[in-house]
Amino acid sequence: MDFLFNHSFDEKQNVWRVEISGEVDIFNSPGLKNDLIDLLNQKQCDMYIDCQHLEYIDSTGLGCLVAALKTARAYKGNIHLLQLKPNISKLFKITEMDKVFILEGGHHE
Amino acid sequence: MNSDVKHELIELALPINAAFVSAARLTASSIANRMGFDIEAAEDIKAAVSESCIYFIKIFENNSSIIEEDEENSNSFKISFLMDENELIIKIISNFKANKALVVDPDNIALIMIKALMNHVEISVNENAQFVLHMLKKLEQNSLTL
Repeated sequence: MDFLFNHSFDEKQNVWRVEISGEVDIFNSPGLKNDLIDLLNQKQCDMYIDCQHLEYIDSTGLGCLVAALKTARAYKGNIHLLQLKPNISKLFKITEMDKVFILEGGHHE
Repeated sequence: MNSDVKHELIELALPINAAFVSAARLTASSIANRMGFDIEAAEDIKAAVSESCIYFIKIFENNSSIIEEDEENSNSFKISFLMDENELIIKIISNFKANKALVVDPDNIALIMIKALMNHVEISVNENAQFVLHMLKKLEQNSLTL
């Protein structure tokens, strides 16, 4: 499945709302990393990433989320990951990244 | 296990190129489903194969200066899937020569994921000095579907 990335700025809540769908892997994760960091540099705030249609993410994709988290934290912000599927939630647990990100909704709870 | 696919061997040769990791992932997923692995186990196999490809690509990229340039097809690797009675055996072999400088980092995140997802994982260097990652996933009885 192709990878899709959508984003909008929520003026009311002052947060980025991002949707990632499809498969994030070693081929497209460098581009995603740049996109996420660019957004956080434009507006220095929290970012909510909707993952309900994210089918797969590999270790390089997890790495790009960590890079974005570092950028957000440098601005005293945070990254919230919403609605992770069970197979992706499992990868976050294996790598202990479930302790690093704010996970909301989805299978992990 | 589905008796139609017992003892079959599927081999896939891929270039060291991130664009084709999805081909390995799709192949692994298809084989796991055909063997009768449940959804969770099939996802484990798919992720482990993908991480193995990443592991090989990173080793090649990080050591490209010490990999012999005259090696034919050195920038490629081969994945074999052996469908055994109650397990899937996956072997990934580099076409580049394993040098002593190729250090296996136990904290590598891809390797940590592979070990957590599969029943058995082993990394070695074969008689041809090729880098080999061998892994195995057992087919649980309650996963059987025909």
